[in-house]
Amino acid sequence: MGERRIGMKPIKVSQLNGYIKRILQTDPLLGNLSVIGEVSNLKFHGTGHVYFTLKDENSKINCFMPYENAKGLRFELADGMEIQAEGYVSVYDRGGYYSFNIRDISVSGLGNLSIAYEKLKEKLRIEGLFDEKNKKELPFFPQKIAVVTSETGAAVQDIIKIIESRNNIVDILIYPVLVQGNNAAQDIAKAIDHINEHFSDIDLMIVGRGGGSLEELWAFNEEIVARSIFASKIPVISAVGHETDFTIADFVADRRAETPTAAAQMAVPNVRELRAYIEHKKYLNIQALNNVVYIKELKLKSFDLENMYSFFGRKVDNLKNKAEFEKNKMINEISAIIRRNELKLDGLKKELEALSPMDILKRGYGAILNDQNHYLRSAGDTEEKGRIKIVLHDGVIHAVAEKIYMKGK
Amino acid sequence: MVKKKENSFEESLKKLETSANLLKSDDISLEEAIKAFEDGLEYYNRCSEILESAKQKIEVYNK
Repeated sequence: MGERRIGMKPIKVSQLNGYIKRILQTDPLLGNLSVIGEVSNLKFHGTGHVYFTLKDENSKINCFMPYENAKGLRFELADGMEIQAEGYVSVYDRGGYYSFNIRDISVSGLGNLSIAYEKLKEKLRIEGLFDEKNKKELPFFPQKIAVVTSETGAAVQDIIKIIESRNNIVDILIYPVLVQGNNAAQDIAKAIDHINEHFSDIDLMIVGRGGGSLEELWAFNEEIVARSIFASKIPVISAVGHETDFTIADFVADRRAETPTAAAQMAVPNVRELRAYIEHKKYLNIQALNNVVYIKELKLKSFDLENMYSFFGRKVDNLKNKAEFEKNKMINEISAIIRRNELKLDGLKKELEALSPMDILKRGYGAILNDQNHYLRSAGDTEEKGRIKIVLHDGVIHAVAEKIYMKGK
Repeated sequence: MVKKKENSFEESLKKLETSANLLKSDDISLEEAIKAFEDGLEYYNRCSEILESAKQKIEVYNK
């Protein structure tokens, strides 16, 4: 080895980096790459940009995903997740390093999708999107139902068939959307928003699709769909896949139906059953009214026969008792009056007896009457030789007034 | 959202049930019973009318 050969004169650092940048940016391969690797050191910046390192067992590269691209991400990223990233290599010439600038990310495989699913589920749960208090009640008898699903899938046929078999009154609007693929979630979310804005006659929505793989159902695990369901003023029934499939949409929806068929069943009441039910109610009302009348009748009868008797019987007894009492009271009072008067009379009799002229006569007095039988109260009441009668207590003496001397004459 | 008149099926059904419960109560007077029965009959008729009005429309939205 001899002296080193330098092919060009010295250049500045910025010139070097500028050169590298130009080389990398004009390379046809580096400008449009798809890279597989495991996410690590994931950081979400406040501006919405996402930074992480993509690595395999031997190497790693710094990755940057600007906000404009990150906001449309169909998968919630997490450390340890294997992803396929599309983008280009760019150079930050001021710092002298290069990174992988990502346009879009796709995730496949059960393990990786499960990580994304759990991550989003936890995020939305914490935000309160699954809270019971935010769930709207389904209308008992909806007016018009929107079915947001694929126009060509089996699900839409199942839903129509079941609704028709249960209810021939409710109107149905099929709102066709893509249910799988990159644009499905956006399509579904837009449909939900659109129905809320423009269909005031729709009072219930079924959003879903038939069964499929996790990848095929993925649109219903995307945040954008969850947000639209949550924002919907119209109650939403989610109906995705089979009984065992639980999607994020199911957690946000007001009700989860295990299948599209189940959604149709919970969406509309069965008209036949309702008819039977109201007939039964009517019948019960007739029975109840009859019963009321019967009971009133019974009450009236029992009142007539027994109650009346005993009621008035008691009343009569009461009056009788009262009358008896009053009578006794009166008798007592009258007896007392009589006794009092008898005593008084007795006293008066004695008094009278004391004053009786016969008593006086017995004591030796006499009464003198003229021949007209008038008592003489004065010596002048007769005349000389006049006939008089002297009444004593045991007889009468006829006499003549021999001589009359008037006092003072 | 505007709730349409036909939506009153639920309301009518509830009132039918209310009248049924009223009729079953022990201390109802005859006048009240007859009133409740007549109301019930009216709500029954309303429900019945709605259930008979089979004019379902199925349409596909054209974007």
